[in-house]
Amino acid sequence: MTDKILASLRALHLISEEQAAGIATYEREKPFSLYYELRTLLSLGVTLLSTGLGLLIYQNIDTLGHGVIVGLIALVSAAGFGYAYRKRQPFTWQQNPNPSTGADYALLLGCLTLLTLLGYLQYQYNLFGTRYGLLVLLPTVVFFVCAYRFDHRGVLSMAITGLAAWVGVSIAPLSAFTQNDFAVPHLGAVALVLGLGLAAVGLVSEYQDRKKHFGYTYLLLGSNVALLAACTALLSGPYDQGFMPPVLAALLIIGLSAALVWYARRTHSYVFVLLGALYGYVAVTYLMFQVVELIPGLEGLLFFYFPLSTVGVVLLLLNLKKIVASHDEKGL
Amino acid sequence: MTRKAYNEQGIFNRLVQDTARRWAKTGLLTPEQAESVRQAFPTDFYEPHLFVKVALFLFTCFAVSGVSGVVFLFVSQGASGGSHSWEWRLLLGCMLCGVGTFVLLETLITSNHLYRSGVDNALLYCGLGYAGATLLSFYSLALPNFVDPEILLGRGVLWLYLLPLLVLVVLAAIRYADPVLGAVSFFLYLGIVVTLLLPSALGKALLPFGLMLACALAYQVVQWLTRRPDYLYYRTCVRTVKVLALACFYLAGNYLVVREVNALLLGLPNSVQISFAPLFYLFTVAIPLLYLYLGLRRADRIFLHTGLLALAFSLFTYRFYRSVLPPEWALTLGGAVLIVVAGWAMRYLRPARHGLTAEPADSPGLSILNLESVVMSHVAANTMQAPEPGFQFGGGSSGGGGAEGKY
Repeated sequence: MTDKILASLRALHLISEEQAAGIATYEREKPFSLYYELRTLLSLGVTLLSTGLGLLIYQNIDTLGHGVIVGLIALVSAAGFGYAYRKRQPFTWQQNPNPSTGADYALLLGCLTLLTLLGYLQYQYNLFGTRYGLLVLLPTVVFFVCAYRFDHRGVLSMAITGLAAWVGVSIAPLSAFTQNDFAVPHLGAVALVLGLGLAAVGLVSEYQDRKKHFGYTYLLLGSNVALLAACTALLSGPYDQGFMPPVLAALLIIGLSAALVWYARRTHSYVFVLLGALYGYVAVTYLMFQVVELIPGLEGLLFFYFPLSTVGVVLLLLNLKKIVASHDEKGL
Repeated sequence: MTRKAYNEQGIFNRLVQDTARRWAKTGLLTPEQAESVRQAFPTDFYEPHLFVKVALFLFTCFAVSGVSGVVFLFVSQGASGGSHSWEWRLLLGCMLCGVGTFVLLETLITSNHLYRSGVDNALLYCGLGYAGATLLSFYSLALPNFVDPEILLGRGVLWLYLLPLLVLVVLAAIRYADPVLGAVSFFLYLGIVVTLLLPSALGKALLPFGLMLACALAYQVVQWLTRRPDYLYYRTCVRTVKVLALACFYLAGNYLVVREVNALLLGLPNSVQISFAPLFYLFTVAIPLLYLYLGLRRADRIFLHTGLLALAFSLFTYRFYRSVLPPEWALTLGGAVLIVVAGWAMRYLRPARHGLTAEPADSPGLSILNLESVVMSHVAANTMQAPEPGFQFGGGSSGGGGAEGKY
């Protein structure tokens, strides 16, 4: 195949004869790269070893004692944070120009083991008692600080997840007391507000040029939280009432989806246009069923709705490049 | 209408672009040269992002099933006054849907330049599904009373069912060169071999050897296909079948598989020791090592990866019957051994040795070409405009002789 390609390149005078000969020699004599294979084996080995060690510690916990394990985890966490701190770059509001892969992974390791450590302390020594909010809030704050200081998007999404958990934890008991209702209908409303707030933070960070590249994470997580919350209201049955009327939720979803598509057009992002299409489709289908239920004699419409609407979605996707306005190098 | 559905020149251009990008990354071409290659070998295939592909595939499947639901509705309602039985209606509906899907597929490929973009995959599989359903409902009409496949298997005539399906899928694979179709036809072929062997006692006894032989034969056939001039069109399809043939060759000789399938076929509650057991021990150990050796020797990633997976399955086979270590110790020791071996190999192969390297493929360090001098000579050659009438580089045939591990 190499020969064929080189011949056709030569035929168009795109490369010189020496270059073609050189490339042919290179292709014939280049060594066989085992880069990915060796790396996969190495990470497989690390996974096996850590699983095996974890099992061994778990089985011998009586002889080892909890203090040793807490100490070990704390040591690993401290080592991760320490390495990331030693390799730190000066703080900017822009994307870090020369990131270090090792430091990024070390920070991730430190954050994950910090979570394990706190969970272990709470489980074994009941460190935080019943103040669960504090238990969740503490790592969240640490993660937010780390994400901004060390410019790490993975840690940022962990921090946002922690924030959502904190909001959930601190809201849920409250509503259980005030409304005597354990289904907590307004948890959905809180999630909707939280999601919209996160999306707003993302937009602001883009417009103000404060960690512009964090905007994607904020918007992705925020819009998903908000849309999922609206979807739960949409799909709640007649017996367990949602926090808002389903039709309103459907309209809200359509509005949010339109906003996502608008944003995707602006930033040439495929993910957001897909999210918008997916959620919008669910909402439109729901409205369609409502209309059919309200007006008798329209049941036949559904037979044509499904084929036509799916064809519509396919056409939309086929022309996605035009909608997203062609920025194919940008990927996501 | 040509024999191949997709534009062969476009596929070649795509490969040229990819290769030029790779060479430019290695430093064998200048960025300007890579750019002019990109312009000289254009592709107009519609190849969206992977997410979009998946979404297109799913929604096309929904659309096809929605439309065919309407078609089936009309077929079953339309001629309700007629004397046709529901089987005839089913046959008619399947035929209509199948023909419609294929017509749509062909139109979309030519008009929208689809090339494995999700839509064409979905239409192809749906169309083939309807074609297969047409075949089956035709059988149920043609035969007076539809017989259970298990009885057919016992009488050794199930292959009469599978053969037309195989022919159908192979024809589609020749036209569309789809890897999934390659895999399906390979499994249909294996199924035919099994249904031919199973009914007789001798065939049952020789089943592992028969399957190994069939896999080796299939590998030889696709290996022979790689020498065709239009191999590039079928490359992914051929590679898929190769992987499957190697994997099934190993599995057919694996001790665990043979022993458990033997118990299953004889209806035993517990698997017992099989005859020729030492031979199957040998297969279980030797085939992965052979694959690994061949993979490293011939720089063939297909052999290498299949060999690694087969080795893992061989270890599993061993542990399945003999418990040597408690699992946590096995995990710990195995992990430690893997880390040591991989780490040592990474260090040992850092300058390339024995034709192997731990560097990433096409890293600039591996380039043996001094680009500057070459570019200078290229400039000189261009200014002189020396015509080269008899320039024949390798005659333009693909003399690869197998996958060369070019990814």
